[in-house]
Amino acid sequence: MTNNNPSLISRRSALRTGGAIVAGGAALAACGGSSDAGTIARIGSVPEIEKLETEHVSDVALLRTAMSVEKMVAVMLADQRMTSLAEANVSPYLTKYSASHETNMSVIAPLVTARGGQTVSEPNAKLMTSYGDHALELVEEGKTPGDVLNLMLGLESLVAATYQYFVSLTNEAALRADMMRLGASSSRRAAVAAQLIRGGTKGFVPALNDKGEELTATLPTAFGALNAVQVLLGPLNDIGTRSPLSMETPSLNSMLY
Amino acid sequence: MVNHQVDLPETALSRRRLIASLLAGGAVAATAPFLSGSASAEESGATTTAPPHRDAADNAALNAALERESRMAATYAAAVAKTSGDDQAALLLIHDHHVAYAQALKGYLATSANSASSQPLAAPAASITAIAQQMASLEEETVAIHTNSLATLRGINAAMLVASIITVEARHVAALNIIGGTSPIAAA
Repeated sequence: MTNNNPSLISRRSALRTGGAIVAGGAALAACGGSSDAGTIARIGSVPEIEKLETEHVSDVALLRTAMSVEKMVAVMLADQRMTSLAEANVSPYLTKYSASHETNMSVIAPLVTARGGQTVSEPNAKLMTSYGDHALELVEEGKTPGDVLNLMLGLESLVAATYQYFVSLTNEAALRADMMRLGASSSRRAAVAAQLIRGGTKGFVPALNDKGEELTATLPTAFGALNAVQVLLGPLNDIGTRSPLSMETPSLNSMLY
Repeated sequence: MVNHQVDLPETALSRRRLIASLLAGGAVAATAPFLSGSASAEESGATTTAPPHRDAADNAALNAALERESRMAATYAAAVAKTSGDDQAALLLIHDHHVAYAQALKGYLATSANSASSQPLAAPAASITAIAQQMASLEEETVAIHTNSLATLRGINAAMLVASIITVEARHVAALNIIGGTSPIAAA
């Protein structure tokens, strides 16, 4: 007996129709761009949305940002609010370290131009707004000579952390070494600043004072830290303490592309 | 009752072909968004090739760093035995740093790690001033070794690890130089 199953929608026609639908869908999906996904039809005039330019964290952007950070630190160390408050034995360090950061800019400049970038001669505006200006205001308000050394230590630690962080973003291996040579020089200056605050081998080791407050240590961690640098600056508040000022390494919004 | 199997000849639009077409159509539909996405990514203009996270070619340089750190730790262990009080605590702290570096490098290399020597790089001097000078010199050499190897490392994770070691070893140099009698203004 032959099985005959006449139907208006046969298996063959269902498969044929299904195939046509899937093939049509595939063609439409391939034609459509991802930018239109999720848009809803609107009535009336809609202003054109201007797309932001896509920026890449290139080696040149990192070098330009490094220049702006070096300049920021050079300017801050040479600022009159720092120099006027510094004790006589600390003033030569401000002068020397500020000059070192200016020198670092001249070391970085040819690395930027060799890669087709434009050099930077101004401090990093975003970082100055975020904490640089505020740090200098606190030094001025606090009128404590110790704040000069605290800020010097913080700034040198910040520069060292910046170069260390940039290693993770740099494409060229040789450039990573160049950056770390500059970072290591800031690290040494940070150690000297820490020794000026709490000297001798005793000052190497992290410790607390009688009140349980953390003392400055020359070697606070085994590995270079990338977290925000905390600095105690300014006048005492109502409860006799000072809020720490947090200084971050440059991030995507403070880089010079 | 007798059942007859009717074998139909393969026609231009057979069931087998239809199913094959459906599968092919489904595959195209599934990959179309990805294909269109990659096309737009190319249009966005990303031109640089990201460095690899790790690369076996780095193992030789990292094993050399491991050897150096292991021997630095052994040198500090000998120096710690010759000192006392705050001086001993300071040298012990730096010793522990070098142990941590050796462990981190060994952990990173895992099964590719070579057996590192624990032979001290120098016999410690008598006084803390002389020991500090000696160790500052060795730290300086170590920083230079790591910085030079950083210029050859391909893997970004290894580069980050070595960079984090350099940052603190540079501090070791300046701090030990001051203890060794160098004027602080000349130490950095």
